[in-house]
Amino acid sequence: MDLILLSRNLSLPKIMKFDTSGLESTASVFGTAGNELVDGFSAAPAFELPTTTDFDGFQKEAVQMVKPAKGTTTLAFIFKDGVIVAADSRASMGGYISSQSVKKIIEINPYMLGTMAGGAADCQFWHRNLGIKCRLHELTNKRRISVTGASKLLANILFSYRGMGLSVGTMIAGWDETGPGLYYVDSEGGRLKGTRFSVGSGSPYAYGVLDSGYRADMSIEEAAELGRRAIYHATFRDGASGGVASVYYVGPDGWKKLSGDDVSELHYKYYPVVSTEAPEPDRMVEA
Amino acid sequence: MSIFEYNGSAIVAMVGKNCFAIASDRRLGVNLQTVATDFQRIFKIHDKLFVGLSGLGSDAQTLYQRLVFRHKLYQLREERDMKPETFASLVSAILYEKRFGPYFCQPVIAGLGNDDKPFICTMDFIGAKELAKDFVVAGSASESLYGACEALFKPDMEPDELSEVVSQALLASVDRDCLSGWGGHIYIVTPDEVREKILKGRMD
Repeated sequence: MDLILLSRNLSLPKIMKFDTSGLESTASVFGTAGNELVDGFSAAPAFELPTTTDFDGFQKEAVQMVKPAKGTTTLAFIFKDGVIVAADSRASMGGYISSQSVKKIIEINPYMLGTMAGGAADCQFWHRNLGIKCRLHELTNKRRISVTGASKLLANILFSYRGMGLSVGTMIAGWDETGPGLYYVDSEGGRLKGTRFSVGSGSPYAYGVLDSGYRADMSIEEAAELGRRAIYHATFRDGASGGVASVYYVGPDGWKKLSGDDVSELHYKYYPVVSTEAPEPDRMVEA
Repeated sequence: MSIFEYNGSAIVAMVGKNCFAIASDRRLGVNLQTVATDFQRIFKIHDKLFVGLSGLGSDAQTLYQRLVFRHKLYQLREERDMKPETFASLVSAILYEKRFGPYFCQPVIAGLGNDDKPFICTMDFIGAKELAKDFVVAGSASESLYGACEALFKPDMEPDELSEVVSQALLASVDRDCLSGWGGHIYIVTPDEVREKILKGRMD
């Protein structure tokens, strides 16, 4: 107490205090003077908010313009041996294909995967942030975080940014002490536990194949082929999906990438070109 | 996405040595959903005159039916086929008739005129003609097509080389467009014959 009075009277520079930043669970990556983080399970890092009365309408037009449509196809399902996670690899901006080789399955840690749908930057950033939090959980609690816990961490963060234009439609898949786990989390703040999900503009087509071909007692190869087929069919029908169909498997020892096949090659493998002299049978004929 | 990109399309026509090539993609979509992969966008008016119609699929089909009708009348009256330059003027007039309720189509016209000299032209949806000596493009993938054609074009190509160049330009361009592709359809027209080929492309 006396020390503080002394410093004020004599205008000394800031007094020494204990440096407790090492005990904070999240480093201040956001630049603000890291004082909003109080306990181990942090509140959301705070960004500066605009001063306006109409917060929902503020910059709504600009946010809608930036908000990308979820042009993609990702899917994940649980079966008897674990979880299969599959996705395409196309990034589109309106009608333009900006990339055919985007990694949409994000490796959060060696036993948990996240999928990317919606804004690429949003998904990449928040999945990496989730990975950091999972690692910190391991260090503070001396045990791995459960899939339930990890998905809840992410869902709570996304909920706190609700209405601010984040676009994230992700599935968290992993293997923990209770076995395989699969959750769907989105930027509206929703979080669902389930055994079969597909997210993105190509998801209706993927659901069709997935739902009709699913059996709980599939082998790993059969399950991978089902996931691959579902992605292929979605890339065929949906303009915003394409590129490479990646398939990952999550088992008791963690995740493993099973395959990454170009969907165009899959098409000619499933439907080889048969050369005939006759014209094509189902040609659309002019009335 | 605008009405011109509702169905998605890609058309290119290129001039060679006493020949021309006209090519299109084969997709018909409803916004992002693909409905057909064998949709015809290039139509024959007569053996030495082809027209490709990009843009809204239903307007392309209706416009084609009107053009065939007008050409058949012309054949009855004049007792000969229409020259490509004349046909281009006809298309332009038909499009401008509908100035205030237009056909949402961008036509690409390619033909062999007097002395089998190749002729290509394109026009916008209300009939502004644009003649070119080398190549013309249209459709939702038109910007990519301009780039690819500009890079690959050489003057006075023989039919085989021309078909290779047009195929590569078309396939490369539609691979950068969500709304067109799913194969290609190319016609190579020389004074003696018309060769039609289906291209194997990416089906995503």
